[in-house]
Amino acid sequence: MNENDLALRNLTYARFVELGRAPTVAEIAAVAGRGRAEILAGWERLHAEHALVLDSATGDIRMANPFSGVPTAYRVQAAGRWWYANCAWDAFGICAALHSDGRIETTCPDCGEGLPVAVAGQRPDDESLLFHCLVPAARWWDDIAFT
Amino acid sequence: MNLFRSEEHIGRWLGGREPGATIPVGKLSELSHAWWDDRLSPGWRPHTRDGNQAILDRLGLTADFWRLPDP
Repeated sequence: MNENDLALRNLTYARFVELGRAPTVAEIAAVAGRGRAEILAGWERLHAEHALVLDSATGDIRMANPFSGVPTAYRVQAAGRWWYANCAWDAFGICAALHSDGRIETTCPDCGEGLPVAVAGQRPDDESLLFHCLVPAARWWDDIAFT
Repeated sequence: MNLFRSEEHIGRWLGGREPGATIPVGKLSELSHAWWDDRLSPGWRPHTRDGNQAILDRLGLTADFWRLPDP
């Protein structure tokens, strides 16, 4: 990753946190003082390097892991806002990235029961829950949205 | 990558599919904090494959399931 792409990646993440949602190409182009095509080309290189994930149909940001650019089953309250995480791993990751305690709200994929989890001092308040990862690590990026 | 109430719920959800790996949520929180802690740092640099593998290894996630692909 070259320095320009690293700067674009850091700017994109910073704006995501400021806005509380995924920034658009136009928003990043405006703040960076660069053209939209240049920003999109940079995002595509970052996508190829797994530094963020673009929606293949729209080119919008789908994931700036651990944050999700689209609604998901994992909602996280941290640092004064609600966020969407891509999965359970990323839900805790939002607290980690923001260096914040938080509250995760999701449901059991089997029975639909609510599974609220408070995170304080990097620890969940309900240690009885289990995390299941279906896809082996070697194949996580084969289809990151499914993973 | 989901949270479940118990092994029984995981088994029902799998519905005959090959299971992946299951760890306690406390271990997941440790993993997530080690993995994502630097994500918003102005000095962030991409994690290397070996650096990420070291995080998994340090938490005892050493089975083949947790082996990251070679670059």
